[in-house]
Parts: sequence; C-alpha cells; structure tokens
Amino acid sequence: MKCNYCERRCELGDGNYGVCRMYREEGGAVRERFPRRWSTYAVSRIESLPFYHAYPGSRSMTIGTAGCNLECRYCANAFVAREDPAAVQDAMYDFTPAQLVRMAAKLGCHNIVFTVNEPTVSLPSLLELGAESRKAGMPLGCLTNAYATEEATDLLAEVFSFVNVSLKGLSRAFCRQYLGIPNAGPVLRNIKRLAATTHVEVTTPVIQSVNDGDIDPIAEFLADVGQGIPWHVFRLLPEYRMKYAAYPHIAAIDAALEKHRRTLPYIYFHNFVGSEWVNTLCPHCGATVIERFSLGCGGDRLDRYHCRGDACPECGYRIAIHGQRVAWNAKEGTE
Amino acid sequence: MSLAIIDAREWQTVLDLRTGRKRADDSPAVRLAKRVLARHPFPGDTDARGNRWVTDTALDLVGEYDPQFVFLIYAQQFYLFRFSCPPAAERAAMIDAAFAEAERFANETGFCTVVVGTGDMIPTAGYIDLSGLDGLAVTSHWLTRYCGLYGLSGKDGDELRRLTASGLVARVAGKDELLSLFADVPAAAERLPDFLAVAREGYCFRSTLLRRPLMVPAGNEVIPVSAPLAGIKSITEISGQVRKLLADRKVALILLEGVGVKDFRLPHEPCANGRGWYSYEPGEAQYLTISTGSHQIFSYPPGYRSYREDGENKEYPFSGYFTSLPSGTLGQGFAGRSIAVGNRSMFMHTVPGADIAVECFARNLYNQGCMAVIHRQDK
Repeated sequence: MKCNYCERRCELGDGNYGVCRMYREEGGAVRERFPRRWSTYAVSRIESLPFYHAYPGSRSMTIGTAGCNLECRYCANAFVAREDPAAVQDAMYDFTPAQLVRMAAKLGCHNIVFTVNEPTVSLPSLLELGAESRKAGMPLGCLTNAYATEEATDLLAEVFSFVNVSLKGLSRAFCRQYLGIPNAGPVLRNIKRLAATTHVEVTTPVIQSVNDGDIDPIAEFLADVGQGIPWHVFRLLPEYRMKYAAYPHIAAIDAALEKHRRTLPYIYFHNFVGSEWVNTLCPHCGATVIERFSLGCGGDRLDRYHCRGDACPECGYRIAIHGQRVAWNAKEGTE
Repeated sequence: MSLAIIDAREWQTVLDLRTGRKRADDSPAVRLAKRVLARHPFPGDTDARGNRWVTDTALDLVGEYDPQFVFLIYAQQFYLFRFSCPPAAERAAMIDAAFAEAERFANETGFCTVVVGTGDMIPTAGYIDLSGLDGLAVTSHWLTRYCGLYGLSGKDGDELRRLTASGLVARVAGKDELLSLFADVPAAAERLPDFLAVAREGYCFRSTLLRRPLMVPAGNEVIPVSAPLAGIKSITEISGQVRKLLADRKVALILLEGVGVKDFRLPHEPCANGRGWYSYEPGEAQYLTISTGSHQIFSYPPGYRSYREDGENKEYPFSGYFTSLPSGTLGQGFAGRSIAVGNRSMFMHTVPGADIAVECFARNLYNQGCMAVIHRQDK
C-alpha cells in the first residue's frame, strides 16, 4: 500500500519503509515503526529555532525523532535525519506524550517545538502529543519541509499552532539535485494551506550560485501568500555532503534581498554570527520594535522587545505576532 | 570596555562584548585583530587543520603584537576523540600532531613553555539515562561524568540507590558535601544542584546534546604538567609557576585537550586535578583553576541550570553561559602584553584574561567563523 503522509507516497510493505524509513504497513494501515521515540528534549530560545514572530522571548523545549523524507545535500542534522532510523534507536528517549509535556514543564518551558528532523515522518506520535499539550495548555510548534500530502498537512495544522516551513528553492534542477524531490509544487501548495489556519514563518537557506536565483520568485510568492509573513533567509552553513562548499557572500545576498523589503517587511537575513538583519522594524513608521542578537547556529536571542502588546510603540501599528511576548522565566517553578 | 570582532568569513563586525551592541571602532588594535582574523579562517572543530590554525594564528598575533605571555589551547583531538573514537594508532598520531604544533610554536617564537594535558580520554563504556526521574536531571555544558539533580522524589532516591548499587553511579553527593569538600573556596551556592551524581569512570550521563560522545574523559585524578621548574603538585599551583617564569622570560602556557598522563609526550609531573573525589573534566572550571590558581568549581558548577540565566538582556551574549568576565586570571594580573588563541570557543576570551584573544566561533561543531576579543589596548 502507499503511504499517505508525505508527497512521495512511497509503497510500503515487503520490507519497504519508505524513503524516510519511519513507516510500515500493517493490516492495510500505515503504522509508525518507532512510535514515541524521541531524539532529544532540550531547552532553547524560541528566536534561535527560528521563530521571530511567535511568543517572543519564550523558552521552548525542542524535540525530534529520526529520519527525513528529503535528501538535502547540506543537511545540518544528518547524523540524526539522514541515518537509518533503526540504527539510532539505542540513542532515543522513550517518553509518553504526558511525560514529554511534563518534562517541558519541569524545564520551565512555555512551548514545545519539533525541530530536529521532519515531523511528517512521525505524525501519529505527534498527534498524540498534540492532544496532550492542548490539555496542558502548552503551545506546540514545528519546523517542516512541508513536503507532505494535503491530508498530512491538515494534520500538521491540527497539531501545531506555529510552523516554520523551509522553502529551500524553486527550480526543478535544484529540487532534484540538492533535495532529491522532483519539484517544490507541494511545498508551495502547503505553505498556502498552512498559512490559512496557522502562524507560518518561512526559512530559505541560500547557496550562492545554486539557489540565489530563486530569491526574487520566492519573495513574490510569499508576498502573494501574505505580506505579514516572516521570511528568514539563511546564509547556508555548509554541512554534510557540502561541508567543503564556499560560505555564501553576505553582502551579495543582502543586496539581493533589499528590493523585497518594501513588499515583505519582515525579511531577516541570518544564520551567521553577528548578523545585522535580525531586528523587526515597524512596516508603517520604520521604528525598531524588536531587537535581537544573531549567534548563528548557536541560536539567536531576544535583546529588547519595544512593542506595547503587539503594537508599535511609536505609531500603534499592529506587528504580526502570534501569541504574547513571554518572559524567559515565566514558567519557571510552575510545574 | 572589551570589544568583540567577529569574522564570519568575508564579513566582519565590531561589537561591545558586554552589551553585544555594534561599535564603530577603527583603533589600531581593532585593525590588527581584523587583519589576523581575515588571514586565518577557522577550518572547523574536527578538521585535520584545526590545531595548525591555532599555531598559525598565534604566530601571526605574536608577530603583530609582541606579547610576553601567550595562552594556547589545542582541542582538535578532543573533538575527534569525543565524537568518532578513532582507532588507537590514529589517536596516537593525532596526539603526536598536537604536540608537534605546540613544539612548532615554541621553536618559532623561542617562548618558554608550560604544557598541560587536560586529561586522558577513554571509550564510553555506557550511558546513564536519568530522564525518567520525577525530579530533574541536568548535565551542563559538555560534561559527561557529572549530573545535577533537582526536586527528587522518594522513588527517584530508590532509582539512584539502584544505580549506585549496580556500580553505574559512583556517588550521589548532596550540596553540603560538595560545599564542605571545597570549604575554603568562596561559594555561590545558589547555582549548585540539590545533589550531584557522579558516573563510574567511562560512563556518561545522557545529555540533551544530539551527538552522543563515543569517548569521554577518564577519571583523571591527576593531569600531566611539563614545566621548567619542578614541584607542581596540584592544578592550583600551575599559575604560580607561570607567574614566576614571567618575571624574566616570555612564557607560553599551552593546554592540550584530551591528553593525559597516559599519552603525554613530554617529560612531566602528575599533578592533582581536583580535590578528594572530585576531579575536573575539560571545561571552564578546569581552565579557570589553571588560570587563577584557585579552585573554581562554584562559578558555573557541574549540573547547574544555565538555561535559567539565558534570557533577554543577558550580558555577554556572545560568551555562551558566562554572565561576567572572570577575575584573578593570569592575563588580568600581568602587566606585560598577553594573547590567547585556541580552538575552544568562549574560553579563550574568558579564561586567560589576555589583552587580545582569538577563538573559533563554533557551537556544537557548527563552524560560524572566528571571534577576537580585545580586553586591553593600553599596553
């Protein structure tokens, strides 16, 4: 039978577990091979994941499983996402959904964010976690490549109230050569689908001379989805099979982004230490309303939050913020 | 005011180290740091050229600044051992290469050297998972042998007794026990965990780092020191020796990570690497003890919940969990010029107290570039 979680729709059964190697066929149904098995539970600043427009300042517990449905040549978490999931099971934690939510509370976290690998490969476990976290009033977010079926995308939207979609490139050649998929059509479709019901931010890792030509069409697509959508343009940190690739040129990428800052006011250019393009400016009056530090992959952080609620302190314009600002230690000791 | 110069490859920026805010500064020291950083892009924590980068950068900085005191850390082998556990012959070759780099620095500069190994590493025998406790278990930073415990239940006590009886956990020490072990050391007890669990040698508490260590520091009750003057019996006596030597010569204090008495290639004395049952793992507490000459276990104690202090407005945002600059360090108390270079992030600009420090800016093996910090430009 065919798997209906990811857009690849892999044939399961007879020892086939799909490209992600996380699902199996049993009795005519698609089952998880490794349910409720988690690769980490770590404390993180929400800005470092990155979410710049969801619960600013909050403490997140990041989680993940194993496996992925894409084959990105520059994967930063290849040692978990690209390994055979069966081979890394001895390094996994066993947590029921209730235990995971309780762990987040013990760590003083305001929310849980699935970050390590692709959530689509562990959707049944995440549906359980979603039910438990809703009961506890703990928001759930994720990073996703959105290469999911429409049905699975609806499930993602059911589980997660804030999502960062990695829109890696548009050209067919790039998708084939660097991601191992035929095209980005399903990703674009799902960004629109998710944005209709969920808080969506988008991340694009830019590789000079490879996908920097996609900056203009991606910007146009996102502006069409919604001008309030935050777009994180990452300077690619070469890893995995591209470990020895050149580091993209910061000034050149910044120049390519400049003309889009009028139509997409929440463009951020980071993933390198010391970036100067991580603050939020009011789209109406230009005042700096949120200041951040960029520590590259060491994690970005909130520096100063000037908004009153979600409004610009200068002109009152409403900044696109999902949820409220949350003080870092707000949940400390409440477990 | 300390300045941080960040080099993210082909792009540099200058910041106030304490506030993290951008600074417009084109002083000679900043220009010097920018030149050196631009000439020496960091190849990566586990790259075979990592230790060569330390020597090359240090030699360049010596040529530019003419210091009397140099503090170096060579850590490439530590990262490789930790995450890949190479065969013994490869490990030996890596250690040889690390010593060769230290020797190259000494030969090319003529500095008198004090070389310290921070401790042997051994293959991980097993992992101890305390995530199922009712209370909270915290392994801080890159430590593996120590785990802070908070809010334990009676059931947790039973589990820890079981682990102790099975030999996986060597000791569970209460806060008071740790305080009394270092009774002469000014303590900031609020950062101490309720209890500190100590793993049996070779075993490792599971942490939230995604990569599991394949090799861990051995017990390392003693570490090797190679110095011109004999008689160093404790880790706290190293800085005094260096200070004496600095009175009449140029001195380089060189730390070799992941190398202990078993693999030390120079004539050496073993010196105590802690006190009683507590021995240091490579990290800021060990380095600070070497640099200051007094035990530094309480500043950022093992198993403390560093994340609680990691919120908005934290000072020194580019210094990891450091919330202030340590005092009493070797460089801080030295009137002459000093530099520090090493491939261990954060520690080079915090631990030695040197006028100018250059370090890789890498986190969890992800290579972001380099950072130089200028603490003093009045010498």
